[in-house]
Amino acid sequence: MLGALFGAVSFLVGCGVTDDWIKWARGIDTSDHHEEHWHGWEKFLNVSFDHKVIGIQYTLIALLLLGVGGTFAMIFRTELAASQLQFLTTDLNLFGQTGPQLFNTLMSLHGMIMIVSILLGISGIINYAVPLLIGAADMSFPRLNAFSYWISVPAAITLVSSLFLGGFDTGWTGYPPLSARAPVGMQMFFMGVFIAGWSSILGALNVIVTALRMRAKGMTAMKMPIFVWASIATSIISMTATQFIGLAFQLVMFQRLFGMGFFDPAKGGNPVLFQHLFWFYSHPAVYVFILPGLGVISELLPVFVRKPLFGYRWVAMSSFGIALVGFVVWAHHMFTSGMNEYLRVPFMYSTLLVSVPTGVKFFSWVATMWKGRISTPTPMLFVLGGIVVFFMGGLSGPPHATVSTDLHLHDTYFVVGHFHDTIFGGFVFPFFAAIYYWFPKATGRRMNEFWGKVHFWLMTPSFFILTFGMMYVGLLGMRRRIADYDPALGLDSAHLILTIAGFAIFTSVIIFGINLFYSIKHGEKAEGNIWNSRSPEWQVPSPMAAHNYSKPLEVIGEPYDYGLKDAPYTRFIEPASAGKSKH
Amino acid sequence: MQHFVVVGILVILTTVLTYLGLDVAGLAKHQHPVSASLQSISIDQLWNWEMMVISFLFSLIIVPMLYSLIVFRQKKGELEDGEHMEGNATLEVVWTVVPIFLVVIFAYLGGKSLGDVRRVDPQAVTIFVKAQQFTWTFEYPEYGIISSELHIPVNKQVVLKMTSADVIHSFWVPEFRIKQDVVPGRYTEYRVTPILVGDYKVRCAELCGTSHSYMENAVIVDTQEDYDTWIAEQVEIAKLASLTPEGQGQLLVARNGCTGCHSLNGTRLTGPTWLNIYGREEEMNDGSKIVIDDAYIAESILDPNAHIVATYASPSQMPAFVFTDEEIANIIAYLKTLK
Amino acid sequence: MSHSQNKSAALMQGVIIAIYLAILTLLEYFVAVAFDAVPLLIVVAIIKAVLVVYYFMHIYKLNQKDSDTNHESYAYKTITNRLGLWLFLISDGFVFAGLLVMRINLLGLTRPELNQTLGLVVTVVLLLSSFFMNRGEMQMAHGDVKGFMRNTAITFILGLGFLLGVVMIEWRGVPAIAEPILHFFGEPEGMKALTPSSGDASTGPLGAVFFMMTGMHAFHVLTGLIFLFVVWNNARKGVYTAEKHWGVEAAAVYWHFIDLVWIFFYPALYLIGTAVGAP
Ligand code: HEA
Ligand code: HEA
Ligand code: HEC
Ligand code: CUA
Ligand SMILES: [Cu+2]
Repeated sequence: MLGALFGAVSFLVGCGVTDDWIKWARGIDTSDHHEEHWHGWEKFLNVSFDHKVIGIQYTLIALLLLGVGGTFAMIFRTELAASQLQFLTTDLNLFGQTGPQLFNTLMSLHGMIMIVSILLGISGIINYAVPLLIGAADMSFPRLNAFSYWISVPAAITLVSSLFLGGFDTGWTGYPPLSARAPVGMQMFFMGVFIAGWSSILGALNVIVTALRMRAKGMTAMKMPIFVWASIATSIISMTATQFIGLAFQLVMFQRLFGMGFFDPAKGGNPVLFQHLFWFYSHPAVYVFILPGLGVISELLPVFVRKPLFGYRWVAMSSFGIALVGFVVWAHHMFTSGMNEYLRVPFMYSTLLVSVPTGVKFFSWVATMWKGRISTPTPMLFVLGGIVVFFMGGLSGPPHATVSTDLHLHDTYFVVGHFHDTIFGGFVFPFFAAIYYWFPKATGRRMNEFWGKVHFWLMTPSFFILTFGMMYVGLLGMRRRIADYDPALGLDSAHLILTIAGFAIFTSVIIFGINLFYSIKHGEKAEGNIWNSRSPEWQVPSPMAAHNYSKPLEVIGEPYDYGLKDAPYTRFIEPASAGKSKH
Repeated sequence: MQHFVVVGILVILTTVLTYLGLDVAGLAKHQHPVSASLQSISIDQLWNWEMMVISFLFSLIIVPMLYSLIVFRQKKGELEDGEHMEGNATLEVVWTVVPIFLVVIFAYLGGKSLGDVRRVDPQAVTIFVKAQQFTWTFEYPEYGIISSELHIPVNKQVVLKMTSADVIHSFWVPEFRIKQDVVPGRYTEYRVTPILVGDYKVRCAELCGTSHSYMENAVIVDTQEDYDTWIAEQVEIAKLASLTPEGQGQLLVARNGCTGCHSLNGTRLTGPTWLNIYGREEEMNDGSKIVIDDAYIAESILDPNAHIVATYASPSQMPAFVFTDEEIANIIAYLKTLK
Repeated sequence: MSHSQNKSAALMQGVIIAIYLAILTLLEYFVAVAFDAVPLLIVVAIIKAVLVVYYFMHIYKLNQKDSDTNHESYAYKTITNRLGLWLFLISDGFVFAGLLVMRINLLGLTRPELNQTLGLVVTVVLLLSSFFMNRGEMQMAHGDVKGFMRNTAITFILGLGFLLGVVMIEWRGVPAIAEPILHFFGEPEGMKALTPSSGDASTGPLGAVFFMMTGMHAFHVLTGLIFLFVVWNNARKGVYTAEKHWGVEAAAVYWHFIDLVWIFFYPALYLIGTAVGAP
């Protein structure tokens, strides 16, 4: 474990992110502007302080992890295609684990890698888009930004290494006492998440400061692009709550290393305390996943509907509503945990209350679409898909929240269906939308429309089948996190369909990946405002120049005034009045 | 205006269709698996009602969306923007306040249903439940019986006082609809009033390690007579068994849940099977071979890590047990009978 | 407090606040010894915290308006940095809040049996160090680099004293050093050590909680000391001036934050509830 920590630190020093800080500590002056040493694709493999490069680096590592996590899912989904153990049998012995153990490890890693992948993906979009949207040259703390990115690399490596170090079989939630006994892999898992947590905390802090301090002239709070609102709300959560999961995991690590009995009943500890600490982060975290995604939806919808965002203020405020209420609902994951009985009712109320601000978003989106001039290029398809899928997920939330129904649903595939819907709809779909949308900005070329549509039309129906099927088998008695299920439940054919749907999703994402990499070099040229958007980054040619806008921006209108002629959102301040310009 | 009328009709239509669709799939009123307890009735009612509301909400959003997508689609070559509508405060207030009411109703019904589920019958029969990796044991304090099957009489409330010997497990019988975690170091309570005679299974619903999938024991709801007969039988068996060493060994095995990991019929579970165990030659993971005798069995039980059988994980999945010499001898006597 | 205020007034204010804090700490100690009144202890801790946050950490500076709108200027950046630092401290505060939650959940109204004299002494030492830190920062704000270095050195030594007091003595990690010093504080010899894993069902996980809380705090003290050394060294090289000394301000605020945490940890570990456990 110490080895992992040491490795992480030396990796960071070695790759050079911390150079400037070390200089600072030694009293040497550091310059604010870094000339990039690297060009072309090499700059993505080296330390860069440019928010656009960092944003793309984040996005790429997120996609990579999505691939790893997705591949794990396909492996264990194949095992689940029929009852009994087919290839993850008890005789198997791989990485020191028998089949069912390997199943548990793969399943747990699937969950956690996916979640880390989301956190990185979010940082990716936010890093790329926020400074552009507010007309800034970079983030407030570019070096910290690079640092946040680069520690996520050892975090990911540590996390995945747990597979080879005996694995662990606790699910992504890592509840003790089980996690206090599991093999060394567990320790790597805790370490990895802990480091990733720091990446997310520091990144979030940077986002808040940037959004508060770096906005263009005239961009008052109510004139910020909606995505910036969402980013701030998200960042508030990740900056504060993340410490709790860090602490919870640290406590288990110490319990394992030094025998400190925080969660060990034999030593007077309390296993349920862990669940409180864990969910105090992990519930708000699910809103971390979706708020930027919903922000992307709100940001792109007006562009393709050619109509202002309906009720801008309400949509902006609903992000904060979700974030704040989200802090007081954590115990809905613990209705059956044996915590104090009477806590269940207040937590039921608070949980259901989240529906209200979320509902505001949905109604506003529908009103935005009403009487628009809707066109559906690929990013818009993913926006629409995201809305519908997230809505299915959202609606499957209240049945969990009303306690007595949750007594049946808890720890079944119904929950699994619920959160794949919310996560896909709230994050994965908008993430793809954002990539299709901003890809031309980053590269000056666009991704192939045809294959983009194939990606969408393959993924969406399969996805409906996957999650609806999960909810279905869950209601019929399929528990979560089992390698083998009772044939008497009669779920074999349903599971086979689920597996096939899973593979269809997998294929569609591979199509996306090929499209992505092919289009970088060979995509159709797209240097202008191809989406006919009002936001500032589209008013300059693509790809974006190294220090973003050559002249400072000034906000003179509303961000989403589509339908009004001659009322632009921003304009450039001419150099004469602008003091010193940036190179 | 015409748009609103059409959409309104479509919303109602879709609501009905969605609900019926869910029902046909077995997910609304006629829910599977069968409902076998008093508690499940109240839960199913709430569920059914929720499905109706959800069908409506689903249509309320999806129908206007699809409608806009089709009717307000940009025609080929059309370039101008949509109508300039910024928002409408009244509407926003409406769709904030109405859901708040809905939420309160949801929560009220949820609370009421929870009250039904938790209703206490002072006459309830108490049974102690011990969960451990990867099996359940049930103790009937009034009769001094220990069993690996849970037998309960129909139409009578039972209260299970549950605790765990190692990690967190969760007691779930899908047909009863309720589930409750079983936490080491404390007792949690599970109240259920079965209303349908039949064979069910308790399925552990909290990931508890390698063989979590197989942590299923039989739950049998008996008529009162069958239940009484079963109790009498068990009392008799226990009495007889306590007379011989192998019988006492068998009781110890039942009480400690050994069969959660060791099968008696030759299949491989978390641990090696006990069929023909005594005297068989076993390969250890260090390559040595051992013939299973008294000393080795005693060592395996008291210090499982001393020798680990080949192809099993190290450190051993088996917890160390504390027994007296006599108890060990009894267990060995019992193991010898397994041919 | 504006920049126009003169130096001696600023230094005087530091003294007054330090005296308030000292009085409150003693009050706290006697309340705990005499009445065992938890709500009162909470009130006192909050008052102390407010004093530190306002007068030592200068939270009101967050409200400062930009005098210079040029995003590249030192003044503009200082305000940005300050915001960043405060957000970091809020985030870090959640770790300690989590530890307090853990302490309340696991120990309730009991606490480990600890050496009260030692507790009071290290607390006073830490408060004093905050006082000197504040003094140093004030001097730097008025361009007095020598004064700054002197006061920071004192802070550093006091901080080190605190760290050694907690880690060496209270932890009893190194008996050879701990025993004689403990003797000095009137601790009976050969006492039973609180070990990280001590605690059984009747006493609760006392050791675990105690070591976790002090350990996490000590880790922050350690980083604070390193930070202090770095700014001290930079000051020696003449990096800072009256106008440009963000590094000094950051180190000071961070140091006061460590003090702030201890303001809550001290009553939580030493004063609240009845003592049970090891010795
Ligand atoms: C992106 C992630 C995300 C999101 C957005 C949500 C959103 C919600 N979740 Fe979900 N949830 C998860 C991710 C997410 N969840 C995960 C990962 C788990 C499992 C963790 C694990 O155990 O591994 C989980 C588990 C989970 C549980 C615990 C289940 C269990 O284990 O027993 C509960 C219980 O209350 C719950 C409830 C809710 C609710 C009420 C919402 C609400 O926010 C939904 C609100 C939205 C709507 C309701 C739709 C739109 C609203 C309207 C149209 C207005 C009108 C509607 C009404 C008045 C009802 N979720
Ligand atoms: C981001 C979140 C996310 C995503 C995207 C997914 C995606 C999928 N999930 Fe996952 N899942 C979780 C989060 C996620 N899941 C979590 C948190 C759990 C809980 C774990 C726990 O209980 O502890 C879980 C659990 C879980 C279970 C329950 C396991 C159990 O309880 O036993 C199942 C079962 O079917 C499942 C299936 C799938 C499938 C088939 C997909 C498919 O959609 C996967 C399709 C494949 C891909 C999306 C990747 C394809 C990409 C490539 C091949 C690379 C291409 C390269 C580039 C683009 C660079 N998941
Ligand atoms: C959590 C699972 C588990 C439980 C419960 C358990 N065992 Fe085991 N047992 C194992 C495993 C795994 C092995 C093989 C690895 C080893 O040798 O330690 C094993 C091995 C043994 C062996 C050696 C068998 C051989 O073929 O070499 C004996 C004897 C034994 N167990 C007896 C018992 C008895 C008696 C009990 C109950 C009092 C018990 N076990 C409960 C998992 C378990
Ligand atoms: Cu016991 Cu799962
Ligand atoms: Cu939640």
